[in-house]
Amino acid sequence: MSRNSPFNWILLILSSLVLLFILAPLAGMFLHTGGSELLETVNDQEVRASIWLTIWVAFAATFFFAIGAIPLAWLLARKEFPMKNVVQGIIDLPVVLPHTAAGIAILGFISRDGLLGKAANSVGLTLINNPRGIALAMAFVSIPFLINAARDGFTAVPERLEKAALSLGASRTRVFFTISLPLAWRSIMTGFVMMFARGMSEFGAVVIVAYHPMVAPVLIYERFSSFGLKYARPAAVLFIIVALAVFILLRLISVRKKETHILPDAEA
Amino acid sequence: MLKLDNISKKMGDFALSGISMEIREGEYYVLLGRSGSGKTQLLELIAGLNYPDSGKLWLDDEDITFKKIQDRNIGLVFQDYAIFPNLTVFGNIAYSLHCRKTQKSTIIKEVTRIAKELNISHLLNRFTDNLSGGELQRVALARTLITSPRLLLLDEPLASIDASLKDDIKRTFRQLNKKGLTIIHVTHDYSEAVSLAKRIGVIHNGNIVQEGAPDDVFGKPVNRFVARYAGIRNFFRVRFSKEGLLWKAVSEGKLAFNLSEGNYPDEGLVLVRSNAISVSVEEPLHENGNCFKGVIKDISPCEKGMELMVEAGEMFYVDITMNDFKKLQITETSDIWIIFPEEACIALQGGSM
Repeated sequence: MSRNSPFNWILLILSSLVLLFILAPLAGMFLHTGGSELLETVNDQEVRASIWLTIWVAFAATFFFAIGAIPLAWLLARKEFPMKNVVQGIIDLPVVLPHTAAGIAILGFISRDGLLGKAANSVGLTLINNPRGIALAMAFVSIPFLINAARDGFTAVPERLEKAALSLGASRTRVFFTISLPLAWRSIMTGFVMMFARGMSEFGAVVIVAYHPMVAPVLIYERFSSFGLKYARPAAVLFIIVALAVFILLRLISVRKKETHILPDAEA
Repeated sequence: MLKLDNISKKMGDFALSGISMEIREGEYYVLLGRSGSGKTQLLELIAGLNYPDSGKLWLDDEDITFKKIQDRNIGLVFQDYAIFPNLTVFGNIAYSLHCRKTQKSTIIKEVTRIAKELNISHLLNRFTDNLSGGELQRVALARTLITSPRLLLLDEPLASIDASLKDDIKRTFRQLNKKGLTIIHVTHDYSEAVSLAKRIGVIHNGNIVQEGAPDDVFGKPVNRFVARYAGIRNFFRVRFSKEGLLWKAVSEGKLAFNLSEGNYPDEGLVLVRSNAISVSVEEPLHENGNCFKGVIKDISPCEKGMELMVEAGEMFYVDITMNDFKKLQITETSDIWIIFPEEACIALQGGSM
């Protein structure tokens, strides 16, 4: 096909429009934010605390839920069991729920009358208006990203490698930690980064569970509704810069691991 | 040494059914079968990757039917080697020793020794991405042999290796067997089986259809499937009859074969090896055995030289050397006589196909 064919031009124009649609609002926001405004926001203790809270809570939620999500992903990749499709559907459910509805559901679950809320209360832990509750709300809406990416990663690991390890005397646990996990690592890290990023940007579910302490998306909303666009914009820009920096850093860490070439399973 | 007693296993639409066999100490046993015949599944049952639905597995008189794979001391080399791509060659070979919590100094000593034995010492620090098929095969062998297995299982070990390296690897297998290691080797390749096996088992549709020394199996195939593996392409469904002292077999195309002495059933199959048939452009004089006139339908190159397809009441496939082909000066549509002795006819009871 010629490089100047009409088809190529149509592809180029349509692709550019989509990219422009994503970049234009962000660029506009950056261009409308002056350096002095941004500097003032950087020095704003409330903004800094809110961004830090958002990052560490999103990271903690991703980290702790990964402990259960990764084995679940392995089960989905390797085992056949009754109602597997239903389980897969349940995992994807948070993606299709309106996030405010997800927030309401979580609030019911962690409030003092709720199952988890009661249990936490009995050991002296508060969940509502607390980073713990925020972490639960973030994890609820973002966990499918990790499970699905890790499941795809485990599926791509040839089963014969696990069988070979077993035949060499390794226990199932050892096979998981020395073969399956390292070979699925890139997909797992991609899922980890996506879950973290999704959790960090969550507003709908978090605002219902905890207006205070304010995570960055709630703070931006609060500034917008109280003071207007001009005051919300620098906080939004700062949050985007920080979030992008963390996102890129995590991606770099995840791809630095040695790339391994995996052959698909041989035909029986 | 290893005994399989009436092993059955259902896997989806496929089933291994009632497999019984015995492998003797120090034997090189080749399990020969087509893709999908169940040979890999049988190997996985022996290794302990799967358990049978019924039947028993014995290793050195110990019932290992449901023994954990880690405790069987059976080494398995996978088709395409199953080398761990996240580990170096050293890491791959040392894997089983790490599982056994062997001391670091012993691991280094053992890995160095086995790597030297298999000529892969220079690869120890490399990752496996860019190794050749032959090198990967040696790494896989070293990784398995370091466990000092009681029995070595090889699943299509030469399937992904360049032809030039196959002899080298075969020599390694023979040497291992000579040192006393019992080997079960799974393959679909007839020549590979014949060149290595002390005993062959032919597996088809989840059943062992014939077992024995290579000469016995391919000299007296029990059915058409085994005969095909031996390269026999001349099969004729016949009725056997005795005329006086002589046995004859009459094909559906009304061709009458003279047979050597023996006992024959009422009906069955007659097989004739392509390379047991000779040809002549003139009618042979005083020819004993079998002699039929036919027409050449097709001529194509083959391993021996040329393959002739001759219509002589039945379709015959005949292999001749290039020299003979040039001397005979034959073309398609030439008339030709095909000649073969009575002993070249292999009779199969019942006509099992």
